[in-house]
Amino acid sequence: MNDIVQRVRQLLATRLKLAKTVDEITDDTPLFAPTGLGLDSIDALELVLGLEKEFGVVIEDRAVAIRVLTSIKTIAEFIQSQGKG
Amino acid sequence: MDSDPLSRLPHGNAFRFVDRVLELTPGTRVIALKNVTVGDPHLQGHFPGNPIMPGVLLVEAMAQAAGLLLPEGSSALLAQIKEARFRRPVVPGDQMRIEAERLGGLGALHRFAVKASVEGAPVAEAELVLAVNDRGREGTP
Repeated sequence: MNDIVQRVRQLLATRLKLAKTVDEITDDTPLFAPTGLGLDSIDALELVLGLEKEFGVVIEDRAVAIRVLTSIKTIAEFIQSQGKG
Repeated sequence: MDSDPLSRLPHGNAFRFVDRVLELTPGTRVIALKNVTVGDPHLQGHFPGNPIMPGVLLVEAMAQAAGLLLPEGSSALLAQIKEARFRRPVVPGDQMRIEAERLGGLGALHRFAVKASVEGAPVAEAELVLAVNDRGREGTP
């Protein structure tokens, strides 16, 4: 699980233009809420495509994306639940 | 192809930068052509005596080609231009071949890898995100 979290952190750092460095955020920091990283829908698409490439997990449904892309932790849990990583 | 695939585009003739569709696999991949002619109105000013297809219009042509891969009847707006490169000028007489492939999507957003070439030589490439903007509904996904 720790390894997955590290790889998700790496993915965020390389694929998104974050206002903070990944070291400044916790595994529970909200990714999309303005109080967290304030990511937008284009960032969400970037993440979805990145997760598919890096972990082989496919997210096509918007409702699933909203649930999964809540934080680094929820992304890592989803990857693990899919038997990937 | 039973009907003219270009009828999928919402653009009027005055702002259409795709002339013909060679191949179309809906939702997956399209190859389209744009003939650049000395009569194209934007070339009168870009530049007088030295007509060159503007880079932003190459992007527009690539976006319109990508738009052919969206569900029929949908209208879309450009949401992101990534990794755009312009490798050589496109001038009157050139026939541009535009190849667009859908990489994936989420909600109203769709991402495409698009390449344009003239006589086999790459002229431009980009990754584009289009946001489907259904009439009467919020544009944001």
